[in-house]
Amino acid sequence: MRILVGFKVTPDFESLREADWIAGEGNLADGAGVETRYVPRLLNCFDESALELALRLRDAAAGRSFVEPQLSAVSIGGSQVEPFLTTLLALGYGRAARVDVGADVDFAPAAVASILAACAHDSDGGDVLLLGCRSGPGDGGTVPFRVAETLGWPCLSQVVEIEALSGDDLRVTCLADDCLLRVTVRPPCVLAVGNAVVSRLRVPTLRDRLARRDVLVDVLRAADLGIDIDLLLEREPAGLIGLEAVRRARAGVVVGGETPHEKARHLLDDHLRAVIERL
Amino acid sequence: MSLSREAIVEGLQHIVGPEHVVTDEQVLVQSSVDNFRKLQNIFDVHTMPVPAAVVMVQSTEMAAELLRWADEQGVNVIPRTGATATEGGLESAVPDSVILDGSPMDRIIDVDACNMQATVQCGVPLQALEDRARELGLTTGHSPQSKPVAHLGGLVATRSIGQFSTLYGGIEDMVVGLEAVFPNGQICRIKNVPRRAAGPDIRHVVIGNEGALCFITEVTVKLFPYFPESNRFLGWTLKSMTTGFEALREVMVSGFKPSVARLYDPGDAGLHFSHFAADDDCVLLFMAEGPPGISRATADGIQAIVDTYPECTQVDSAYIETWFNDLCWGPDKIIAEDERIRQTRNVNRTTEISADWSSIGEIYAAARDRIVAEIPDITMMGGHSSHSYINGTNMYFNYFFNVVGVGPEEETTKYYLPIISIICEETLKRGGSIVHHHGMGKARAPWVKDEYGSSYYMLETLKQAFDPSGIMNKGTIFPI
Amino acid sequence: MRAMAVIDGTLGSAAAQAGALDAFLRDGLTGAAVDETVVLYRADDGRERLIELSPTRDVRLVKMAASCPDTAAGVIAEMARAGDVSLLLLAGGAGPELATRIACRCGGAVLTDVLHAQAEAGRLVCRRPVYSNHMTGRFELRARPWCVSIDAGWACAGGAGEAGPDTGKPGEGSTGKPGEGSTGKPGEGSTVETGDRSAGGALSAGGHRVLSEADETGRTVDRRFRDVELGPPPETGDLAGSRFVVVAGYGAGSREGVARIAAAATRAGADLAVSRPVVMNAWAPMDRLIGVSGTRTAPDLCIVVGASGAAALHWGIEGAGLIVAVNTDERAPIVANADVAVIDDGVAVIEELAGMIAELRR
Ligand SMILES: Cc1cc2nc3c(=O)[nH]c(=O)nc-3n(C[C@H](O)[C@H](O)[C@H](O)COP(=O)(O)OP(=O)(O)OC[C@H]3O[C@@H](n4cnc5c(N)ncnc54)[C@H](O)[C@@H]3O)c2cc1C
Repeated sequence: MRILVGFKVTPDFESLREADWIAGEGNLADGAGVETRYVPRLLNCFDESALELALRLRDAAAGRSFVEPQLSAVSIGGSQVEPFLTTLLALGYGRAARVDVGADVDFAPAAVASILAACAHDSDGGDVLLLGCRSGPGDGGTVPFRVAETLGWPCLSQVVEIEALSGDDLRVTCLADDCLLRVTVRPPCVLAVGNAVVSRLRVPTLRDRLARRDVLVDVLRAADLGIDIDLLLEREPAGLIGLEAVRRARAGVVVGGETPHEKARHLLDDHLRAVIERL
Repeated sequence: MSLSREAIVEGLQHIVGPEHVVTDEQVLVQSSVDNFRKLQNIFDVHTMPVPAAVVMVQSTEMAAELLRWADEQGVNVIPRTGATATEGGLESAVPDSVILDGSPMDRIIDVDACNMQATVQCGVPLQALEDRARELGLTTGHSPQSKPVAHLGGLVATRSIGQFSTLYGGIEDMVVGLEAVFPNGQICRIKNVPRRAAGPDIRHVVIGNEGALCFITEVTVKLFPYFPESNRFLGWTLKSMTTGFEALREVMVSGFKPSVARLYDPGDAGLHFSHFAADDDCVLLFMAEGPPGISRATADGIQAIVDTYPECTQVDSAYIETWFNDLCWGPDKIIAEDERIRQTRNVNRTTEISADWSSIGEIYAAARDRIVAEIPDITMMGGHSSHSYINGTNMYFNYFFNVVGVGPEEETTKYYLPIISIICEETLKRGGSIVHHHGMGKARAPWVKDEYGSSYYMLETLKQAFDPSGIMNKGTIFPI
Repeated sequence: MRAMAVIDGTLGSAAAQAGALDAFLRDGLTGAAVDETVVLYRADDGRERLIELSPTRDVRLVKMAASCPDTAAGVIAEMARAGDVSLLLLAGGAGPELATRIACRCGGAVLTDVLHAQAEAGRLVCRRPVYSNHMTGRFELRARPWCVSIDAGWACAGGAGEAGPDTGKPGEGSTGKPGEGSTGKPGEGSTVETGDRSAGGALSAGGHRVLSEADETGRTVDRRFRDVELGPPPETGDLAGSRFVVVAGYGAGSREGVARIAAAATRAGADLAVSRPVVMNAWAPMDRLIGVSGTRTAPDLCIVVGASGAAALHWGIEGAGLIVAVNTDERAPIVANADVAVIDDGVAVIEELAGMIAELRR
C-alpha cells in the first residue's frame, strides 16, 4: 500500500498581533490584506495529525508483519516548506516533494485539489491519499471532497483513527455529525483527518537526520504534473474579494445599582435575559 | 523527634486555621515537583515524597508564625509563589515537607510614579504589575519569558532576568528594598533608598536565596519610562558563532546598551527563524529602546559595527519585530507544549551558564559537541546568547531529546542530568558560572562547591546563620 | 432565480440543520428568496416530523436507502440541474461535503461556513471566517449553482438543539448505515409530483405543502465501505460542552463561599467551574478546573465570580459568547475582558442573580 500525505505549511496566525489584522479590498493576492511573510511557519494542525497517523500505520505494519506501507508526502509551496520535508525524510518518508506553482493558492481550493489529485495519479502517488480536513488561511475544508470527486475515490472525513487490517483494508474511525462511525474501506480512498487524538508529529533524532542527509526533496513545477496554474486560478469558482477585521476586545460595561440585589436585577434585565431565554 | 504527618497538619491548622491548609492528595502530589521533573506531572507518574500540606499564606505575620513553628519542630518548608521554577527548587526532597504558598498575597501596594518605584506583595504576577505600570506610561523593565505566570516573590528568590536585561539589568538591579521573614520568625524590612554605603548590601542575602534562607513577603522594584514607539529592531544571518560572538562583544564593549542582544546558533535559530534563515545559519539580533534619540543612536551604532562584518547578511527588521511581539510564554503555550511532550515523548530542556568573552565560544562548542556525541536520542542541540555584559555573556543551551526505552520518571537520570553535568563540567573548566538565571535549585546543587570555590565559606555561613536548623527548602542550593 | 434549502434527514442532526437554515433564511440571506426545501429521509416513521421541520412551506421529499453523502449529492445534483436551481443552502456538519460534491458535479461554486450571503445583480457575495477566525473574508461565487453551506453558529441562533427527528438514536437499527442499502442503478428512482405549485396542493398540519416525492432507495450505495458501525459520539466532560458556566475564583474567600456559588450555579441551571487557586485550596475538585491544565469551554454564557482573570483562566473561557465578571476590584483584568461587569461581592450578587434566573426559567 502506498500512502500519500498532502500537507500545508501555514503562517502561525497566533503570533500576529491584533493590529496586524488589516482589512483589505481588491486583489488580495497582490499584497492587500494580511501580511504574514514575517511570521514563523507551522504544520497545519490537521495535516500534522495525518503525517503522524501515516507513520503509525507504518509502525503497526512492522509490528504485525504486514507489508509496510510506502509513505510519501507532498506540499504545495516555496522553499519555506523544505525544512518540514527534510524532517519527514528523516522520519522515514520515502519521498518528500513540494509543488512549486509560483502562485498564491491560499484561496484557490479548486486549484489545490487539482494539484493534489494529479499528485495522487502520479506514478509514485498513493493508494491512500491522507489529507487534513481543512487548513488556513482559507479554512474552507472542501479540498478533500473535491479531490475525491476528481479521482472518483471514496472519501471519509473527520477521520480520527486509522487501523490497518490484513489485505490492505483500513478500518477508519470518523467523528461524524452526530455519531462515531467505524468503517472498513479498501483503497484507493481519500481520508480527511479531523480532530484526531494523535495530533503531534514525532521528532527525528540528529542521527536520523544524518542517515537521510543524502535524500533530496523533490521539487515539481505545475507543468510537471500537466497543470496550467494560471488557467486553474482564472477558473477558480469562488474568489476572495475583501477582508474585514474581527473585533475581539470585549466591552467591559459596568452595571449600575446600589445593592447586590439591584445590580443583579440590572444585569439580568439589560444584558442576560435574551441569552438565558435561548439556553 | 520529628512530627508525624498528621501532627504537622494539625499544627498548621492550629496556627493558620484549617481553611488555609490544603491536604488534597492530588494537589499535594502535583506539588511534589516543579518543571525540573515536569514529565512526572505530564505523565502522572510520581516518585518524589509527597508533601504533608500546602499552606496558603495570607500575611507576613502568618508567614512568621509558620516559620517559627516549623523551625521549632524541624519541619522542612518550601516557599513557593508562581510555581514556574525549572531547577527543582520546588521539589520536596524530604518526606512531609510543607509548601508555603505566597500566591494569595497578591496586592499591588503602591505604584509611585514620582519616585519611580512600585511595592508589591510576593504573590503578584509580574504581568499584573507590568500592566499597572503601563497604564501610567511606565514599565518594570523586567520581562522574563515566564512574565505572564511567574510572581514577584519567586522572581526575586531565583535572581531572575528578563529579555531586556542588557538595558535594564537583572532583578538584582531593580530591587530597591524588600521585606522577608526568617526561620526564627524575625521579620526584616530593607528600606527603599537609591543607594547606600552603610556596610554590605544585605539585599543580596535575600535576592537569589531560592527559599533556602528566608521567605520573601514584599518587594519594591524600580520603574522606568516606557517608549514602545521608539523600539528599533535589527537582525542578521551569518554562518559562524565565533564571528557572532565577536560582533556581539564589539557592540557591548563599544558602550551601546541595546535592550535585547542575542546570538542564536543554527539549531536554535531553526526553531524560531527557519522562515528566513537557512538551516546552517546563525542569527544575530538586537533591539534598541528608550527615548527616541537614544534608541536611534543605539540602532545606528550597532548597524555601523555589524556592517564591518562582511559575513553578516542583514534581514528585514520586520522579522525581528514579529518575533519580539510573540516572546512570552503564557499558559496556552505551556499547555500546548505539555501536550506535545505527552504525545511525542520529545522533551525540551534548557541550561543556562555564563562566562567571559574569551571562554564563551569554547564552552558553547565543547559542551555542544560532547552532548551530541555522548547522549543518545538527541533531536536538537543548540543554544543562544541572550544576556550580554561588558565582560562577557551567557549561553542558554536549548536541547530536545526523545525519551526512549525508559519511563518518564527516568528521564532525568538517563538524559537531563548527564547533559547538565557535561555543561557544568565544560563551564567550570573554563572559569564560567554554571547558573546564569534559573537558580541552582536541587538540580545543580551538587556543583555548588565547585561553583563557589573558596567563597563557599561565605555562602555556607549564611545558611548556618539564618537557617541553623536547616528547615528552609532542604536540598536547594546546598545539597543534602 | 430558483433557490433551495436542503435538509439531510438521514442524519440525526436534521433538527439542528433545520433550525440553522431557518435562522439563516431570516437573518443571513439577502436579495434572494428560498421557497422550497429538499428533505432527504430514510424511514417512513420520520417522514412527517421532517416535513414539519422545513424552514419553507414547500417541501420536496426524497426517500433514501441510507445515509450516504455521495449518493445524496448525486440525487440533489440531478434535481439542481433539472430544475435550473441557482442557489442551494445546506447546514450541519455534513453540509460542506454535500455542498462540495454537488458543486463539483454541477460545475457550480461552493462556499462553506457562510455567515451571510447576498444575492445582487446576478452575483452572490458571501462572508465567511478566514485566517482561523481572525478575519472575515468576502467571496464572490462565480459559477452556478451557488452551493452554500452555512456556518455552525446559525444552529445556536436557530435554537434547535434536540436530537434529530429521524429513526431514533444513531446505532439503533440498520437504517442509516452507509453500504447497507439495496443495490440498483442510479436514476431508477421515481418522482411523483404531488403539489402543483401554481394551484397549491394540500397543506400539512404544520402548514407545509409537499411538492414532490421521490423514491431513491434503489440507488447504489458505495460498496467500498464495509462493516459499518455507528456509536454514540465520545463523551465530553460536561464543562467542555456546557452552554452556561459559572466560574468561582479565589475571591469566593473560603470553601463555604465556593459551595454557595456552586449552589447558586445549580439553581440557575449552570455548570460550576473554578480557577486554579480554588482547586489548590481544595475548595473544589480538580475536574472543575478551568484554564491552565484544566478544561477549556465555550459556553453561551459565562459568569466569572471573584476571579481576577489571569491569562491562565481567561484562556479557558475566551470562547464564551457572553462573559460577565462579578468582582470587588474594578481594575481586575477580568473586568476589561468581560462584556459586562458587576463591581460588588461575588457571592452576594450570584445568589441574587441565581434566584432571578431560576424565576425566569420556570
Ligand atoms: C516558560 C518559562 C519561561 C521562563 N523564562 C525565564 C526567564 O526568561 N528568565 C528567568 O529568569 N527565568 C525564567 N523562567 C524560570 C522561572 O520563571 C523563574 O525562575 C521565576 O523567577 C520563578 O518565579 P515563580 O514565582 O514562579 O517562583 P516559584 O517557581 O514559585 O519558586 C522559584 C524558587 O523560588 C523560591 N521562592 C518562591 N517564592 C518565594 C518567596 N516568597 N520567598 C522565598 N523563596 C521563594 C522557591 O522555593 C523556588 O526555589 C522560566 C520558566 C518557565 C516555565
